[in-house]
Amino acid sequence: MMLRLENINKRFGQFALSDINLNIREGEYYVLLGRSGSGKTLLLELIAGLTFPDSGNIWLDNEDITQRKIQKRNTGLVFQDYAIFPNMTVYGNIAYPLMARKTGRKAIFTAVKGIAAGMNIDHLLNRNTQNLSGGELQRVALARTLITSPRLLLLDEPMASVDASLRDDIKGILRKLNRDGHTIIHVTHDYREAVNLASRAGVIHNGRIIQEGLPAEVFRKPVNKFVARYAGIRNFFRVRFTRERGKWKAICPNKLVFNIEGDDHSGEGLIIIRSDDVKVFREKPGGEHDNCFMGTITDIIPCVYGMELLVDAGEKFFVDVRQEEFEQLEARELSDVWITFPARAAVVLDERI
Amino acid sequence: MIRYNPFNWILLILSSLVLLFILAPLAGLFIHTAPSDFFETAGDREVQQSIWLTLWVSFAATFISALGAVPLAWFMARRNFPLKNVVQGIIDLPVVLPHTAAGIAILGFISRDGALGRAADAMGLNLINNPAGIALAMAFVSLPFFINSARDGFAAVPEKLEKAGLNLGASRSRVFFTISIPLARQSIITGFVMMFARGMSEFGAVVIVAYHPMIAPVLIYERFSSYGLSYSRPASVLFILVALMVFIMLRIVARRKKITQITDDAEA
Repeated sequence: MMLRLENINKRFGQFALSDINLNIREGEYYVLLGRSGSGKTLLLELIAGLTFPDSGNIWLDNEDITQRKIQKRNTGLVFQDYAIFPNMTVYGNIAYPLMARKTGRKAIFTAVKGIAAGMNIDHLLNRNTQNLSGGELQRVALARTLITSPRLLLLDEPMASVDASLRDDIKGILRKLNRDGHTIIHVTHDYREAVNLASRAGVIHNGRIIQEGLPAEVFRKPVNKFVARYAGIRNFFRVRFTRERGKWKAICPNKLVFNIEGDDHSGEGLIIIRSDDVKVFREKPGGEHDNCFMGTITDIIPCVYGMELLVDAGEKFFVDVRQEEFEQLEARELSDVWITFPARAAVVLDERI
Repeated sequence: MIRYNPFNWILLILSSLVLLFILAPLAGLFIHTAPSDFFETAGDREVQQSIWLTLWVSFAATFISALGAVPLAWFMARRNFPLKNVVQGIIDLPVVLPHTAAGIAILGFISRDGALGRAADAMGLNLINNPAGIALAMAFVSLPFFINSARDGFAAVPEKLEKAGLNLGASRSRVFFTISIPLARQSIITGFVMMFARGMSEFGAVVIVAYHPMIAPVLIYERFSSYGLSYSRPASVLFILVALMVFIMLRIVARRKKITQITDDAEA
């Protein structure tokens, strides 16, 4: 294990990180999801040594670095908004860590040129940083951090200040860095970044890591409502569980009944259904369906690849449809449609976590 | 474009009154000073020496104070500690003290009975009626202006930049000199100018510590009390003009260049 956090606790005003345990393997790309105020930035600062835990230990390469000075940690933190020094040129920024290490001038020059070429910013070296775009600043920040080859790269919301059009570029760079062997911890509030980049993902909420696993696992089977929210899920149903003829059913407050899977449910619970698991039809579809309801379209919201329909079938369902499907559907507001979803799509959340 | 509704009219009138209040006495001073008297005074060696003394002593006082005031300002901007408000109160204290009282306090401190006075005496230096004593009195009353301005400047530097510097392997002192100070530079210079200007115009504290050698405010007072209003006017006008010139010059220097560039000199 390359980085190990053991029972880390840290109080920060009203907020506290509680009992954080985290293991990062060499070469891993770990994405930690959490809302603002969930403690994700504080966790990065603890690893980087900008602040120290109240209790617990941090191990890097089997050495206890809990109390080690920030300059000696060999972790590179790229801040949200990049923290580029506005009083220096791009060259000055990238050279800064080497100047601090008293590297010779020629060696600094060679190193800066090399890393800037790798990041495609060698033409910016003599520029001031004030007029750079978000994407350029991000590259400068990465180059400045990577020039000392830190063991661990810590990224705080690296896409937050980048235009949507440049996010793919940055993702490409980050993926390449990971392929080249850099171990990365990346914190974000956007689940799509975890889907795109993570080899493993975790969710932090109120100072606790509440779920960890492969991204697909985390998003298919979120453990609770918060994780489901981070995963972009919008269909939530509070239900009562009953069992009829050996099969589980979930009854919504206004009597809509879902067929669901599972071995053991009791009392009441919360169910999520991903909007892309719900299919929509103009006419009642043939064949067997675990769940099939008639409803009315109450809202049509354009999105990137098509439309999001809000269908009222007694309960409100968000349904994603691609543009072609939407055109075939000839749907308008208030038109009647049929929706189906398989029993396995209804995921019961654990509300104790 | 200002629209002329009643509120704006009232605003305009009240603002004009305040500006007039500042400018009218000064204008009167200039109008009542005959050019011949002015040039005669400007050629007076005693007046020239006194203005020069005022300028360099105030500058030296500010410059030497900066060595301690800048770190203190950073400390006040960045660190939280018990009784921080009390420390801030101590920093602000000279602003509210009657300056003559401050002068008496300093005199006690630097006279041969005082701690500093004894130390200076041991080195064969008498601080009373000495430029060093004048500098102390000037610094005492004007330091808060410097410290508070620099403190606001440091507080405005995003802490994230300092953290980034540390994370990139720089020592605390390196971060202080390469990031904190350059980015707070504008406020530090403003504070410097304010302290310098305030020290230069100090009368109350200085006159108690050192009547001689005479700094310009003491000289003006001496001419007024010995010879009257009309005789003290040309010296006043001259000192005001010199002070204004220095003030404007320092403001220009402060605004000239905001960005320190670390250029790619290895390439050259």
